[in-house]
Amino acid sequence: MVEAFAIASGKGGTGKTTSTLALGMALAAEYDVTVVDADMGMANLLFHADLEAVETTLHDVLVEGGAPVEAAVYERHGLSVVPCGTSLADFSAADPTRLRDVVATLAADTDVILLDSAATLSSRAAVLPVVLADRVVVVLEPTIPSLSDGLKVQEYATSYDTDTAGILFNKVRDDDAISRIAPKAERYFDGPTLATVPASGDVRAARRAGRPLLAHAPTSGAAAAYREAARALEVRDGDSGTVADRFRSAVVPESP
Amino acid sequence: MRLPDGRLVRSRVVTDPRTALVDALDRETTGYAVLEPQGSLLLDADGQGIVTFERGVPVVAYHTGTERGGPPALADLAAEGPYRLELFAVDAGALDRVHARDSLCVPPGMAAERLVGDSTLAERTREASSAPAGTVESNAGRSRGVRDESDDAVTTVDHAESDPGDETDDRQVGAVEAFLDDEEKVAAIRAEAREEAEARAEEWGF
Repeated sequence: MVEAFAIASGKGGTGKTTSTLALGMALAAEYDVTVVDADMGMANLLFHADLEAVETTLHDVLVEGGAPVEAAVYERHGLSVVPCGTSLADFSAADPTRLRDVVATLAADTDVILLDSAATLSSRAAVLPVVLADRVVVVLEPTIPSLSDGLKVQEYATSYDTDTAGILFNKVRDDDAISRIAPKAERYFDGPTLATVPASGDVRAARRAGRPLLAHAPTSGAAAAYREAARALEVRDGDSGTVADRFRSAVVPESP
Repeated sequence: MRLPDGRLVRSRVVTDPRTALVDALDRETTGYAVLEPQGSLLLDADGQGIVTFERGVPVVAYHTGTERGGPPALADLAAEGPYRLELFAVDAGALDRVHARDSLCVPPGMAAERLVGDSTLAERTREASSAPAGTVESNAGRSRGVRDESDDAVTTVDHAESDPGDETDDRQVGAVEAFLDDEEKVAAIRAEAREEAEARAEEWGF
């Protein structure tokens, strides 16, 4: 079985990468989880997951005649993690459209794939993870720009036959306010509020330590919220072969 | 301007530096960001933009191409993107000499406003600039006189001295609720995004 989720938001800084790793670690209690840094222009995941020093990254896999994807998979914190590199030259040489083959290969051997997506909808490469995924998790801050961008992400997803798994409110500073805002937002999103994650010094401390939240502060309120979100996701049982075929057949033009 | 060597904590190509500003703020990074417009890699060296941070709050801005510092350096940077961005962390106090040069300083919220047009982030940054270490959410009194002065001089944001965060939060929550109650506006945003997505699907072959 396998289901692929794109973790997306229209805007940067919503805590998408933190959320991707936290959801991944929470889901890993039950599933075999692979996290892919599909935000290819913006190597990010490696700074969250003790991977700064690794040699082979997704960029090396995405170049013509590059490394096999297995070489860029690292076991960290109970997850399989595929990070992007930080070299601009590698980024320029990488062909993002090869991501579909990478995801198809990974699909054969995992239960859940989380694609940490770009914080923009302005290029083919940025939208590709949303196209490839079965469902999208929209990470929101309770602000107008973030909600507005989240709605756009959902419309893009819907246009490409990707369902909305749910919305995740992050950096929530006012419990009373979110209890009014979340139900209003839910009217426009096709999935439920998976959780509301409090703004927390624990999250910032984890970032400073360069460790995932669930490893650094597993008993924090924010960590509990991500576990709640993972429980609410209800991973679907897709056939690995079918999913892999679908990824491979996703029609993607030659270059961005 | 001479900067101390730092530890690389982030390196990316970005269309706008919002994530880096948020990241520095969340981590309370003391260090500096080097923003190199991608165009300058391909064409001629137009210089780099430097923004330094003290516990996540921007302090100094400098542009190596125009050799301008302070708010003008942000203006030089604002027009250029995408960038290659590298964020370095340094030891506490390592930037004190650089930060003592008032002519290079920028108001705390100005980078968020000028570089990414985000007034909410600017407000959060201003709150952080006045909060004791580790309590970014608090609304305690402001501390850095030099930055306060320049803040007042170059921004039009009305920043109440007593408990500004709560008032701002209340206003924002009200505005968010009003936005979500405006079904026509939300429908218009969705319709526009759907049209855009469908047009691009055709263009991109999805």
